[in-house]
Amino acid sequence: MSLHALIIGAGSTGTAVAHDLALRGFRVTVVERGEIASETTGRNHGLLHSGGRYAMTDPEAAQECAEENALMRKLMPDLLERNDGLFVAINEEDLTYRERFLEGCARAGIPAQELTPKQALELEPHLNPKLLTAIRVPDGVFDPFHFSMAFLATAKLNGAVVYTYTEVIDFVWSGRSITGVKVLDRRTKKESVLGADLVINAAGPWGGEIGQMAGIKHIAMVPTAGIMVAVHRRWSKRIINRLNRPGDGDIIVPQRRNSVIGTTSWVVQDPDQIPVPPEQIKQMLDCGTLLVPAFATAPLRGVSAAARPLLDKTVGGGKVEGRELTRGFDCFNHAADGAEGLFSILGGKTTTSRAMAEKLGDIVGRVTGVTTPCRTKEVPLATYRAFYRS
Amino acid sequence: MDNQTTWQKIWAWIDYRGRREGGIGFILMRLTAIGLVVYLLLHLTMLTNLARGPEAWDGFIHLVEHPFFILADAVLIFGLLYHAINGIRVGILGLGWGSRLQAPLFWGAFALTVILTVAAVAAIVSIG
Amino acid sequence: MRTLKLRILRGSPTLGRQYQTFTVTLPDEANIIDGVEQIFGHQDHSLMFRHACHHASCGLCGARVNGRERLMCITPVSEFPDGATVTLEPLRNFPWVGDLAVDVKPLLQKMDMVGLPYSREDELADSPEPGNRFEDCIECGLCMSACPVVGSSTKYLGPAPLAGLARLIQEPREVDFSKACALGKSPHGVWRCHSAMECTEVCPSDVDPSQAIGWLRRFYTFKKK
Repeated sequence: MSLHALIIGAGSTGTAVAHDLALRGFRVTVVERGEIASETTGRNHGLLHSGGRYAMTDPEAAQECAEENALMRKLMPDLLERNDGLFVAINEEDLTYRERFLEGCARAGIPAQELTPKQALELEPHLNPKLLTAIRVPDGVFDPFHFSMAFLATAKLNGAVVYTYTEVIDFVWSGRSITGVKVLDRRTKKESVLGADLVINAAGPWGGEIGQMAGIKHIAMVPTAGIMVAVHRRWSKRIINRLNRPGDGDIIVPQRRNSVIGTTSWVVQDPDQIPVPPEQIKQMLDCGTLLVPAFATAPLRGVSAAARPLLDKTVGGGKVEGRELTRGFDCFNHAADGAEGLFSILGGKTTTSRAMAEKLGDIVGRVTGVTTPCRTKEVPLATYRAFYRS
Repeated sequence: MDNQTTWQKIWAWIDYRGRREGGIGFILMRLTAIGLVVYLLLHLTMLTNLARGPEAWDGFIHLVEHPFFILADAVLIFGLLYHAINGIRVGILGLGWGSRLQAPLFWGAFALTVILTVAAVAAIVSIG
Repeated sequence: MRTLKLRILRGSPTLGRQYQTFTVTLPDEANIIDGVEQIFGHQDHSLMFRHACHHASCGLCGARVNGRERLMCITPVSEFPDGATVTLEPLRNFPWVGDLAVDVKPLLQKMDMVGLPYSREDELADSPEPGNRFEDCIECGLCMSACPVVGSSTKYLGPAPLAGLARLIQEPREVDFSKACALGKSPHGVWRCHSAMECTEVCPSDVDPSQAIGWLRRFYTFKKK
């Protein structure tokens, strides 16, 4: 009899975990209070990182991005625009990062090719003509909703059950063990209990709320908001990055016939409604204009904000120690916090959701004695449309 | 939608809410089509009066001399012209041409219908 | 800033239906989806709606805004005068889940039958290098909601699947489209369209399904591209 894993949250984390655990033979249920991938993941920029962004500042993250990027190209080729990205130097200060960037890419195994301004402008005619250099890396574009749906569709084909508009309102206990969740179905306004052998908190910025329901006062995550600004017209075929340390408004992603510039960063208390600071819209458009001058006059298409669940490194507790966990996300076994059977996976980024799920799956497998190894590197993802076949 | 009733299906065709030129044009095509079929049946029924001899036919003509039937004629002519002229528009659009111009084409078709209807009614009235 | 009254259809097949009006105050550059989010975050946490990207790529936030099919994320509040009432209702021709959410299974099953790949050759950019980009169709369902024939028939393929079929035949990318092709010729394919043209008018993504259906008719009739 397979163990029943219940996953709270159907963002990029929850859907990747569903896929991983289903392949290991768990019976999987996903509960999501809204629509799939409708919050943080939905407003994700859609950049499949080559790792270039972290090449100078975080070599471990850079290498992991590079590996996951190559894997995603193999597992979901049709859901990606595989057109590469450019890191562009606009001024002399940018140019000072050139060598460090190329070195960092080489160390992380990221193919990086420097282009002359003339070559760059031939590839991308709408770039700032005053650019000083451009370095080409294997960035890619994805649509975050469909990205997550591909994982969830595959999990569903392997038996996972998904409940949307179903909100977790409490945990069910047996002593110090969690044996399930109490949920409210928004469609019927009825409450019911879903039993489970283990529960995974993949609720992103709401991870703290879920933790509190289990009596865990402090979950190691800080909701950090950022905005994205979309303008009309696909001004570039590729991702356009600013060659500099990672900062605000330094990435433009083409999404179909539009271009999206982002992002910013500020801590919020309530991830449910994040008003967009109006001065940030102008800030983003100005940043965009430096890379692609057309941003100054292109009509606005939309502005959005979402909170990322960034890891709070100051909190200890039930953190799983001694593992080769990639910086940026952590897995927690809350047995140490008085909630046996509850695990949290916090932080991370959509590009590496498969790797995150693998690490969580390994931990959960060890704790529960399920020895099936992770198979997500080999099993290609089904089309997202398969979700609707039943 | 599964389990749709016949009324729901009919309503889907004539629900005018939120519709613009193309959708209104579609509804009018359905209505004029039904109207023309009804007219055709009436027309054929009335023509059988011819087989019933002069009294029956004269009685019929006397009835339709009433001014109300001039109005009915105008509605009939409008319906016939609209269906035919918009029908040409639909034929062109249906082969994949002019989709970006579909709204101005509708107004053009409608305007032409109105102009020709007015001209026809004017002709009928002036003869009478 | 402006204040709008959002009159939203609430309920579900189990709970019944009624309209509920909320007042929201939004910056002038905001879109309707921001108002819906404000209601969800601050006024009524039970509101059900679909959304993700907020820039018209994911195709989730389709609804009828004052009766007309729109994506809520690119419907600017500046279209409505200060103090106006804006009615929000779910899309037509899809099973109702609750409030503004519908089940898009009917459309996605048909897109699955057609099998249009998600990405295409990139002919939009100016650079000499070929590349790929996502198909224009975001499978948002606005066209399916606006089509009166879809409204009267679950079997009719509908604008988006037929437009997808046209794209598939134009650019097969090693997909065997013979089955999908047969679907298009069937009684529930291209010949059921009556050129109401609402699909092309409401499409937020430059797909022009009516033109695609016409192209398919010429393709089937004359068997050349």
